[in-house]
Amino acid sequence: MTFARRVVVLVAVAAGLQWACGPFRSRTPQPKGQATVVILPEADGTVGRATVSNPNGSVELSTARASTRVVPGVAPEAVTIMSEEEVMRRFGAAIAAQPPAPAHFTLYFEFDSDELTAESQRLVSQVQDSVKLYPAPQVAVVGHTDTTGSATANIGLGLRRAEVVRMRLIEAGVDRSAIGVTSHGEATLLVPTADNVNEPRNRRVDITVR
Amino acid sequence: MKARQHWLVAIGLVLLAAPAFAQQSSPAGRIKVVSGSAFIVRSGGTIPAEVGQTVFESDSLRTGDDGRLGITLDDDTRLSLGPSSEVRLNSFRYAPAQGSVGLAMSFLRGIAVYVSGQIAKLAPDSVRLETPSAIVGVRGTSLALHVVPE
Repeated sequence: MTFARRVVVLVAVAAGLQWACGPFRSRTPQPKGQATVVILPEADGTVGRATVSNPNGSVELSTARASTRVVPGVAPEAVTIMSEEEVMRRFGAAIAAQPPAPAHFTLYFEFDSDELTAESQRLVSQVQDSVKLYPAPQVAVVGHTDTTGSATANIGLGLRRAEVVRMRLIEAGVDRSAIGVTSHGEATLLVPTADNVNEPRNRRVDITVR
Repeated sequence: MKARQHWLVAIGLVLLAAPAFAQQSSPAGRIKVVSGSAFIVRSGGTIPAEVGQTVFESDSLRTGDDGRLGITLDDDTRLSLGPSSEVRLNSFRYAPAQGSVGLAMSFLRGIAVYVSGQIAKLAPDSVRLETPSAIVGVRGTSLALHVVPE
């Protein structure tokens, strides 16, 4: 009789404990090596594409907040859409630590010259304004040419153009130690052309602020 | 005795030189955001992360339970980590004029957000994002990842 009573009390206590710890019961330990992957919309609202695969299968993520879960040795689970609230709850800390998106500027040059076009001269101050928005800013200045002249000479011309831009940026107040200068010559054309084509849009300096 | 000393000196020099060789990996990006405890793991050592530090190929990024970390790579790729997280930068090549680009990262644990850069634009197949259970391929993409450590 006493024994039966004890059992009843113990069961009641156990049930009470289990109820009290209710919210924790749903936190079953997550499988080791499990990955959750969610595709996020870009700043402009578009959505890219990602493929999650292992030897057992593959799924594609291509709509906003499309998500899959995968454990080692098993094909990725079917795609579901994660709510915005869930994305923020789970990933908010990493999203908040995202550095600002790099900014791109293109300055154009007169034919066979390291002289900036009048329009591009005015862009220099915009670049300088942008630099202020970045922690530990880096300004990558890359000179390009069109395909007029030899590839070797164009490496030199591209570098002269980049140097001109570097000097302008320093005059505008950009810290010189933040600026890196290189030349691609005619190797990376903006507008693909045959050799020896005078193409104003290829005579440029690309600036990336990051 | 003398020969033995020479040997010891030689071995000592090799040991001294080894970390120098290990550090010859190329710069890949820069730390832009730090809060709480956040570290770079490089050649087996742990360095507290600071805004402005250079990140090298083969570095790992690690955060403590109150840490956050954000970096921008030289091709505009951005990567940020929430608390108790770790990501290793396995390889980074960005020389578009030579036609040589590539990026590989391992998401080891915790939460991270990846925003693709120029490498994913120029050669999407040369971007490899690894987790313990799957490989993620990208086409100009922002992704959030959560990994339970193995």
